[in-house]
Amino acid sequence: MYVERPKTRLTEKFLLLDLFEGLRVTWKNFWRPKVTVEYPEVKLEPSDRFRGMFRFSHERCIACKLCAMACPIDIIYIDVHDEQQEVDGKKKKVKVLDRFDIDVKRCMFCALCEEACPTTPKSIWLTTKTYELSTYDRGELYFNMQELEYWSVKPEFPTLDQIAKRAGLGQQDAIRKIDEGRES
Amino acid sequence: MLLMAVPVDDPMMNWLIWPTIKFVIAFAIVITVVAAFTLVERKVLAYIQVRLGPNRVGPHGLLQFVADPIKLLLKEDIIPSGAQRAAFFIAPMLPLIPAITVFAIIPLGPPPAFEITSINIGILLVLALTSTGVYGMILGGWASNNKFSLMGGLRSAAQMVSYEVPFALSIIGVLMIVGSLDLGKIVAYQEAHLWNVIPQFLGFFIFLVAMIAENNRAPFDLPEAESELVAGFHTEYSGMKFALFFLAEYAAMLVNSCLVVILFFGGWTLGMGGWGITTAVLQQWGWIGAILGGLIFFVKVMFFMVFYLFLRGTFPRYRFDQLMDLGWKWMIPLALVNIAVTGIVVLALNGGGA
Repeated sequence: MYVERPKTRLTEKFLLLDLFEGLRVTWKNFWRPKVTVEYPEVKLEPSDRFRGMFRFSHERCIACKLCAMACPIDIIYIDVHDEQQEVDGKKKKVKVLDRFDIDVKRCMFCALCEEACPTTPKSIWLTTKTYELSTYDRGELYFNMQELEYWSVKPEFPTLDQIAKRAGLGQQDAIRKIDEGRES
Repeated sequence: MLLMAVPVDDPMMNWLIWPTIKFVIAFAIVITVVAAFTLVERKVLAYIQVRLGPNRVGPHGLLQFVADPIKLLLKEDIIPSGAQRAAFFIAPMLPLIPAITVFAIIPLGPPPAFEITSINIGILLVLALTSTGVYGMILGGWASNNKFSLMGGLRSAAQMVSYEVPFALSIIGVLMIVGSLDLGKIVAYQEAHLWNVIPQFLGFFIFLVAMIAENNRAPFDLPEAESELVAGFHTEYSGMKFALFFLAEYAAMLVNSCLVVILFFGGWTLGMGGWGITTAVLQQWGWIGAILGGLIFFVKVMFFMVFYLFLRGTFPRYRFDQLMDLGWKWMIPLALVNIAVTGIVVLALNGGGA
């Protein structure tokens, strides 16, 4: 394919100004604050919509099984039995959860179960901002009700204040610097 | 330094022992600088790319240059089947030997302490030695029994041969002005008159381009173009053999940086026209002056070493035909024009009869 090249002026050809323009760009980049996040020591907080590890609330759950039905790959296992319980002096039939297991290793984190949950607030939700889910054994990725409710992994994220302090900047400066980096 | 204070009259001491001791020290300095420079390269490139670079080994990654050779030493030494074993074995040593040997000629600081040998054809010897480095690359590429390696070797041969010409021609202007091939005298002339970069700017520019091409550094790194030839002539090399190629490349960079500082930027002196920190002043200050001179030289050399990295971080690689174009159609004619103009001016200034 023939490509028409832009005509170079004589000054451009001999003074090689383009080269200096390129060097100016790298020189500017050289002094810019670095965007690397040193991961295990510094962790960025995921956005609010980030889908991380499940969390389950036994208290809120009404055992309706809607989440299990919504799940496209059927990895939520729920067993329920009815029980007579006394509520406000009346005898009432109440559903009691026996089993609420999620096979997380097959999960694709689509959050359709969360969407399907009818309780407010949701009794199963993924917006826990966790992402360190790797294990040494695939068996460890099968979670039962207790594990889903009381898992110990608590995400700890530095606040913007802490990040700014580490870089020796005020918070506004830090935000401005990050924005500048994005624009240029 | 210390070496200055010892009276030496014995020719055996003068011509054999002292130069040997000095060369061993210079060798240690060069190897240290070269090893440390691998870290500098990774850091500078990372900073250009808005990354942090290696920062795990030691404070801020400063011990990375110790960890790298240890890793390379411990690695398995692979010899590909069908390789020419003898050539494969010798090839990595060939580029390193001249690159290191040259430092017996190049003074790394002001004369009495840092001058290892004073040869009156110094620059010629340097050129002769550095140009032999290409044999190792061709041999390594050929002995590997690998198409990519062979291509890399051939490319490096073509490139080195092409750019050897403007490399040498660009120096001739300087030699005509100075009237000597002795590296010490070239520096002495510059401190008495002008840094050669001012009257010889074109020569300096050609020298700069040619030296980058000589070293196979980006943007002229065609012999080892990652995106085309895997790793070029050292594709099949692993462990310490690879490290030797690597060391040779960096040592050659150091040689050329030293050359450009000595030829065009006044070597270890600061100031022109007999003013500023000249060799005489440095000698007056004794060992402090020697160290100061060495430091000035080191800073100037490091400027050019880092300049290499900025070029690598900035410019995309030349195509091979463009490279040859640049070498034969631009650099050589420009160098010849430079020689002619310099000759006329020198003749005019010396009053014709000189």
